[in-house]
Amino acid sequence: MGALWGPVMFLGVLVLIFTGYPVAFALAGTALLFSVLGTLAGDFDLILFRALPERTFGVMSNYTLLAIPFFIFMGTVLEKSRLAEDLLETIGILFGRFRGGLALGVIGVGALLAAATGVVGASVTAMGLISMPVMLRNGYKDDLTLGVISASGTLGQIIPPSIVLIVLGDQMGVSVGALFQAAIVPGLILTGGYALYVVGVAIFNPEAAPAMAEARDVTGIALLRRVVVSLIPPLALILVVLGSIFAGVATPTEAGALGSVGAMALAAMGGQMTTAALRSAMQDTTRLTIMVIFLLIGSTIFTLVFRGLEGDLWIAEMLSNLPGGALGFLLVVNVIVFVLGFFIDFFEIAFIIVPLVVAPAQILGLDLTWLGIILAVNIQTSFLTPPFGVSLFYLRGVTPPEISTTRMYRGVLPFIAIQLVVLGGLIVWILR
Amino acid sequence: MRTLRHLAGLVDRLNDRIGAAIQWLVLLMVLVGAFNAVARYTTRYTGLALSSNAYLDLQWYFFTLIFLLGAAYGLNHDYHVRVDVLYEKMSARKRAWVDLIGTVLFLIPFSALMLWVSWRPVWNSWSIREASPDPGGLPRYPIKAVILVAFLLLLLQGLSHTLKQVDILRGSGDETDPDPGGAMGGGA
Repeated sequence: MGALWGPVMFLGVLVLIFTGYPVAFALAGTALLFSVLGTLAGDFDLILFRALPERTFGVMSNYTLLAIPFFIFMGTVLEKSRLAEDLLETIGILFGRFRGGLALGVIGVGALLAAATGVVGASVTAMGLISMPVMLRNGYKDDLTLGVISASGTLGQIIPPSIVLIVLGDQMGVSVGALFQAAIVPGLILTGGYALYVVGVAIFNPEAAPAMAEARDVTGIALLRRVVVSLIPPLALILVVLGSIFAGVATPTEAGALGSVGAMALAAMGGQMTTAALRSAMQDTTRLTIMVIFLLIGSTIFTLVFRGLEGDLWIAEMLSNLPGGALGFLLVVNVIVFVLGFFIDFFEIAFIIVPLVVAPAQILGLDLTWLGIILAVNIQTSFLTPPFGVSLFYLRGVTPPEISTTRMYRGVLPFIAIQLVVLGGLIVWILR
Repeated sequence: MRTLRHLAGLVDRLNDRIGAAIQWLVLLMVLVGAFNAVARYTTRYTGLALSSNAYLDLQWYFFTLIFLLGAAYGLNHDYHVRVDVLYEKMSARKRAWVDLIGTVLFLIPFSALMLWVSWRPVWNSWSIREASPDPGGLPRYPIKAVILVAFLLLLLQGLSHTLKQVDILRGSGDETDPDPGGAMGGGA
């Protein structure tokens, strides 16, 4: 039975998550179920559960995770005080006189905002809170809107200074600086690919991405005024937050806290920091923090049991007996990481799978830096893919209930295609 | 049954009170976090040692209180994310079945397990009045005890949740769902 636990547990969690029971508890429940089955079969030791308090404590005191509520709060303050709406509308007025311009603005802002956080939950949530109301109100089709936002929100996984790249560098023994440098070109190609797609939609399906009617009415001094009042201050805030991380002046956590205070200060200067806005921002931050962190706790327990039942060994064994050399290895590793990305937090992938992958990759003569980039783009794609992509979960949390999840899945498909093309290109590149 | 419903109502109200309180911790956490960021630089460049491990600990203590104590409150308001591909197409009764079975088989045993494995380490920490490993840091034993409080609240909320699903399935009691459609319900 021993060898079967990995795949069976994998299937089990799939089925249980699909029932619609909250994912955090379905993950934990699957873990419990399989720990009992495993114990009965003599393949699992319940003593492993003694690690749980320490794991929980690890989540509590995790300095990096602390950046999540900070960036969510910064995003919700910008949203609830309507600063973000003003910012995007101003970008919309600048670009929106063209069809699809608003979506291009979102992709640009998305790459900027996402790079500031590098935490997929925080960036997708912030992007959704900021961009979705503006796009929907201006007549963008809901599927295009959701696709653009969820894809743009994941750009931070690959665009430096991505936390994904830092952790990968650590796990693979590659210089983080080299990873950052290598990531710039694929990051720009992805951003460009998204933009091209939006331009294509604007040309061939104009009513899906309409020009903003009001955009053309604003010209001259009025336009300049809007730019100075609504565009420059929040853009400066984002750039300072981003720049301080880039320059190594502040950690992402510090930058998030300062950015939150900065957002409140900007809102207060415009007289937009009302009590209602503050309360609403606090409420949303609470709700999303509970959701994100408990999801992590659930996946921690799942991973504990999965490893306890030697599911990780099952994966390692599969990898070491592959036909097809380097190409076969890359294809299989990519499929595994892609599928795991549905369930397991990125950090779990980095700590469980990546170390297993390094040794065979070296034997096959693959460049580890580019392998890291491939894994990062892959995980980013996985985060975007229905029905399990975490990016979609987080976006679902801030999407109005009348928009169905199916619409979201439809909207994201073209962006997944772009991701797969780039991923394929990277695989060809590493095998050159 | 009436007594049980009364008790469930008490649990709901307790967790709602907690939910209302932890929202203010978000603001405090942000302010302490920003203070810590600034203090690190005043210490380095002006020698003005504002920075302290107590404040560094305080920011993640607030973080802990928010997500741990909020878990039960989140269950009451359906904040925990679902894969709703099938769920959103189900009838109210089918959803109640999913929630009933999931809560009884997953959530309640999970909360019980966390209480079971955590009480001894927490007790040990409490009995030695465990301090912070960093000089000037905050004591560790109270924040570790929050793990027990949190999963006790989650367990109680799980029981209350079970009762609500049973009521829905029996077609009796309070039919009003506090937040229909749930965690997917969009921005506040």
